[in-house]
Amino acid sequence: MSFLQPMLLAGLALAALPIIIHLINQRRYQTIRWGAMMFLLAANRMSRGFARIRQWLILLFRVLAVACLVFVIARPLASGWMGLAAAGRADTTIVLIDRSPSMRQQDSAAGQSKLAAGRRQLAEALGRLPSSRWVLIESASNKPRELESPRSLEHLPETEPSGASADLPAMLQAAHDYIVANQSGRTEIWFLSDLRANDWNAADARWEALRNAFAAFPQGLRFHLLAYPRAAADNVSVRLTGIRHRTTADGGELLVSLRLSRPEETPTPASVPIQFEIEGARSVVNAELAGTEYELREHRIPLGPREERGWGRVSIPADANLADNEFFFAFDPAETRRTAIVADDPAVGEALRLAASIPADPGEHSSAEVIGLDQASTIDWEKTALVLWQAPLPAGETAARLESFVDRGGQAIFFPPLQPGDAELFAASWRAWTTLDDSAAVDSWRHDQDLLANTQSGMSLPVGQFELRNICGLSGEFTPLASLRGGAPLVARAPTPRGGAYFCCTTPAPRDSNLASDGVVLYVAVQRALAAGAAAIGGARQMVAGQFDSAAAANGGGWQATRPASRRRMPASRASMPATTRWWP
Amino acid sequence: MSTIRQTRSFLQPKVLARLAAIPLFARRPMQGSVSGRHQSPHRGSSVEFAEYREYVAGDDPRRMDWRAYGRTDRFYVKEFEADTNLRCWLVLDTSGSMDFGSRGVAKLEYARRIAGSLGYLAVEQGDAVGLTCVAGGAMRHVPPRRNPAHLSAVFDVLEQTRAKGETPLPAALHELAETAAQRALVIILSDFFIEPDELRSCFEHLRFRKHDVAAFHLLDPLELSFEFRRPMRFLDMEGGAPVFAEPNAIAERYHAALGRYLEQVKQVVLESGVDYHRVNIEEDYERVLSRFLIQRSRKRGAR
Repeated sequence: MSFLQPMLLAGLALAALPIIIHLINQRRYQTIRWGAMMFLLAANRMSRGFARIRQWLILLFRVLAVACLVFVIARPLASGWMGLAAAGRADTTIVLIDRSPSMRQQDSAAGQSKLAAGRRQLAEALGRLPSSRWVLIESASNKPRELESPRSLEHLPETEPSGASADLPAMLQAAHDYIVANQSGRTEIWFLSDLRANDWNAADARWEALRNAFAAFPQGLRFHLLAYPRAAADNVSVRLTGIRHRTTADGGELLVSLRLSRPEETPTPASVPIQFEIEGARSVVNAELAGTEYELREHRIPLGPREERGWGRVSIPADANLADNEFFFAFDPAETRRTAIVADDPAVGEALRLAASIPADPGEHSSAEVIGLDQASTIDWEKTALVLWQAPLPAGETAARLESFVDRGGQAIFFPPLQPGDAELFAASWRAWTTLDDSAAVDSWRHDQDLLANTQSGMSLPVGQFELRNICGLSGEFTPLASLRGGAPLVARAPTPRGGAYFCCTTPAPRDSNLASDGVVLYVAVQRALAAGAAAIGGARQMVAGQFDSAAAANGGGWQATRPASRRRMPASRASMPATTRWWP
Repeated sequence: MSTIRQTRSFLQPKVLARLAAIPLFARRPMQGSVSGRHQSPHRGSSVEFAEYREYVAGDDPRRMDWRAYGRTDRFYVKEFEADTNLRCWLVLDTSGSMDFGSRGVAKLEYARRIAGSLGYLAVEQGDAVGLTCVAGGAMRHVPPRRNPAHLSAVFDVLEQTRAKGETPLPAALHELAETAAQRALVIILSDFFIEPDELRSCFEHLRFRKHDVAAFHLLDPLELSFEFRRPMRFLDMEGGAPVFAEPNAIAERYHAALGRYLEQVKQVVLESGVDYHRVNIEEDYERVLSRFLIQRSRKRGAR
């Protein structure tokens, strides 16, 4: 057993109050000369038996009453068999409803969508369970909202299907924050979800923190899951994985990559007509879906001479779930990928310029410019996708601009300067140079993601073949992407909410390493960073419609419906979309 | 009134003057030595006719009723009631508990007023008055006399007596029943804090001796209500061990014991024919006395 307010248990000393009052009362007696002693003695004789016991019992009950009062104010929480024995009315019941599009799938047993069937079942079940408060947290806003009764779950617009995917860890975090803020007593948490891996995101690091946070609650928490995990066997979903605009001699073309998937494999291949709609012009491609997935990579769709930018839609025929049958996108001519290189060593600057200026795809245009540290203020931050910085870490206005650049999605890779200073950027700073005796010193690197990830064919980058001669120390908060023997970082990433800030602890200069002479890793890393930076500043970006953007909401923007509810919804963000990009016909 | 030559604290002349209008009667025939206001067990020469009796030799022929002889041709003697005086024994309990009084007047003082007034009224109508003060271990007797000068001696004893010691009232009453030579009106003034069974034997003894017994049971209002706000230490006024008690806790049982005791006393006085008066000493003693005298006037003649 534990207590919500254990400090109040100090008030148990008040239980001695009746005894103290009794003793004080005994001390302040009066003396009187009395004649009718025979009645007094008779009364005292009568009080020797049960009456005297009753006196002590009354005193005992007074003590117990005060103790119980203090005990109750301290809000005891029973768990284990005591909790089961004392289980009764829940203090708070929190309902987490997954409104993601997958919940619109028709449930074959209920004859209605999973969300509607789940809401009805939740309302019926919760209506029978007593609770002091009902709180709804739905996946679109992740904000707690108190309900008058469970019956209102069936009618609230907040429980209707939504176009946004659900973020279950964020919903649970909101539930956790609500419990902490309201000091809820015994709480029951009900999930309504179809257990989609995309919504639950089991690999998310937040789950561990949430598990520990909920386990630390002294009050009893119970989780109930109302799940509709069974997906319709014949439901096919389409998902766009990439859209690229390429300029050709005839004008331009779109390279569309998409993926079809279905939950179960069928004995016979299914023919799925994929319809593309570009600015109203439709074309169809038939896909033979033999297994559970079908991937169409870089399907070419020629554009008209004037169709440089626009919108498009990919759709498949209606099936059990209408919400995953179409995918909207926007496109825009790829801009030149600009790289700004600030280097105090010309050899390093040249190596970086070569790595950044040669595009991986002939259809893309890249440019890189090497400037000195004193010219850093001339960088056009709005059009730059990548910054390669081999100079002392900046301070003041330049540092602020760099942080702002990374915060809007830009990428920056820092290389150690010849003379490391004490300046700090992204919570990291350079330390002194050290010379390595063992040239093959790389011990491990992250080959599953980020700059040093394996190639698409599965081959790993030759990071282990680095010949490192001089290494500059790095201190601060960072995540190592490659480490030397002994644990010192070689490549590290600073924690940033958006964009990327990387630190490479050596330079491509021949005196320091063979990064330039054996330049595959350097080239791949720079090109990957350049692609990520370009994606953030491109004229068209793919965004998840309806997803809550706290930054946009704070600026008065955010997603808004552009059509009446009777027509098909096509949300758009005016705040985050370029004015020239159209998202709706 | 001429007998009160000096001021007595327990006598109020105006009260006595008002009470003198009501005679003090005995409920039983008394054997007095002289003529008085009270019935005698013997026939006498009063004006109140009693009965006819057949003439027997030796009767005074002057008492023969010739008219009856004329009507019945038999000789009848006409007899009349005899009036005589009485002996009034005042028995005053002067035990320690009689010194208790929560309203400024102690029970002993209240008893003095009643005893003094009754003594004065008795002497005024020619009756003899005696006094017995019962205190712990000692008794003071003043034998009954009808001399007005004797009244002064009774008042002196009343004035000098002090409340002290335990209550040897049963022994005193038994002794009085044995030593009183003739029938008397025995008036007992006490708080009767003794067992009712002991009282029963005393009263039956006195009744057996043909005494007319009247009892004034004096009780203080605090003894009846037992209302206290704090824990109290009760010191026994008759020398017993002190008792520490929480009055609120034992009040219920105290009232139960008191009620049972009063019920038993009431039963005792009913069975032994005692003229019993329970007196809350908060009440004016004049009203108590007038009620006592008036009740006796109504019952006059009862044998």
